[in-house]
Amino acid sequence: MSEPAKDKGARRASVKKRGSVSSLGSHDVKAKETTGKTKDSLSTVSYLDEAGHQEENGRLVQMENTYIMGPSKRFPVLVVTDILKDVLGSYLQEEKYDAELCRQMTKTISEVVKARIKELLIPRYKIVVLISIGQLGEQSMYVGSRCLWDAASDTFATHAFKNSSLLAVASVYAVYFE
Amino acid sequence: MEEYHPTDESSFNPDETTNTIKECIDSIMGRVDYNQQQVNKWTSSICELSLTQLAKQGKPYKYIVNCAVMQKCGAGLHTANSCYWDTAMDGSCTVRWENRTMYCVVCVFAVAI
Repeated sequence: MSEPAKDKGARRASVKKRGSVSSLGSHDVKAKETTGKTKDSLSTVSYLDEAGHQEENGRLVQMENTYIMGPSKRFPVLVVTDILKDVLGSYLQEEKYDAELCRQMTKTISEVVKARIKELLIPRYKIVVLISIGQLGEQSMYVGSRCLWDAASDTFATHAFKNSSLLAVASVYAVYFE
Repeated sequence: MEEYHPTDESSFNPDETTNTIKECIDSIMGRVDYNQQQVNKWTSSICELSLTQLAKQGKPYKYIVNCAVMQKCGAGLHTANSCYWDTAMDGSCTVRWENRTMYCVVCVFAVAI
């Protein structure tokens, strides 16, 4: 993903919350060496979400110790699972799998889910939203994840959706910022 | 919790992480074909091995590793992620890997403490 590399230049400038959406797609891939019909793609969209407000002569900001032991408001897993069900259902219920459409759809859905979670205004939580949309074929697919974090404060929510031609898996990880 | 970010060494390095993950996948799935019974074990092993290697780097980060394995049948797959975090310190990297019978996509997210 090119986003972290691009951000290294701006890293020392300020503590800004910036959204970025990156997507990876492959469609009707045959082996690269044989037919050359591979259509792998990587596209990145990024934007600035909030104005920076802690710039200090270009140095990396040092935050004061808050002395808070744990999150004051825990991440509401059930609410977020409902959001995922709602978003996936409304965007994908009637859709047929199409490479270009799904490429856009993954980015759109991940942005929409992120925006809705931000509306919940849960303080001091960083959010990671991961969306996968795949064509329903004869293949089998397995998705797993492992996390190294503080299980007392960090959590996740997932939802899988299926219709007649496609399947979608949405995962949201919430990490507490100590 | 003390917040300190003294040097570049303690920031997220996507290139180094990409290489680490590729080695993990090769070691677990390098020479095998897709197998319905084994794939559960493989995804778990890849995630756990990746986490162990990342934790060994000793950086002040929490990690999320997501692994998707799909059989090669001509079907398409699209993945996207969207993150609300501090772009100065946090980062992610995605590794695509394939062999004759399957695809594997591993996403690693590193969130600073």
